[in-house]
Amino acid sequence: MSLTIESTRFGRIEVAPDTVIEFPHGLIGFDSHRFTLVAREEDATFLWLQSLDDPALAIPVTDPRRFFGDFEAEIATEERDRLGLGDLNETAVYVTVRASDQIEDFTANLRAPIVISDGRGHQVINQAADAPLRAPLFGELTAAGRAA
Amino acid sequence: MLIITRRPGEKIILGDDVVLTVMEVSGQTVRLGIEAPKSLPIYREEIWAAVKSENEAAAQADTALPKLPKHKPS
Repeated sequence: MSLTIESTRFGRIEVAPDTVIEFPHGLIGFDSHRFTLVAREEDATFLWLQSLDDPALAIPVTDPRRFFGDFEAEIATEERDRLGLGDLNETAVYVTVRASDQIEDFTANLRAPIVISDGRGHQVINQAADAPLRAPLFGELTAAGRAA
Repeated sequence: MLIITRRPGEKIILGDDVVLTVMEVSGQTVRLGIEAPKSLPIYREEIWAAVKSENEAAAQADTALPKLPKHKPS
């Protein structure tokens, strides 16, 4: 049976059971353990991780590989074992997006990606040395703007 | 705050199933070993705080995010 929530941002959402994502540890800073991914259009660049516990909580996320072709999360082996994570290449990986008035100021958190597989999600710490908390998503636009 | 003095190799037990071991002390650095149930997330404090702050900022986003064409990395 699908679940219906009245989300603050998107109004009523029907959530099919197989689209519920359990976050056993929640998302860092939020006391919410069940989410679903909301796409507002087909093949949307930005999806929303909508909480099913808190109708007001939704966080924009994106597939980091759309912006950073060589993105790869390095997760410590012990952490991977602890969380029961398999091959990250076969796992959906998203990064949270910090939006802004200016599109050039949009950033993504490559330090703490969200991995989702088999209906379970975890926000993990990326050990890669070059994984910034705020990676500009549209760096090339900014560069083009400066050049113009 | 409870303050306990320990030497390398000595442990602290938290509750029934968390064991903290002082592995090595070298100058300003302490290496700790942590044995804890899988249900217990473990973070370095400054990273936890930074990620918490980013998550909270991300959650403030305006519902109308820009629509973008599918973005292919070059």
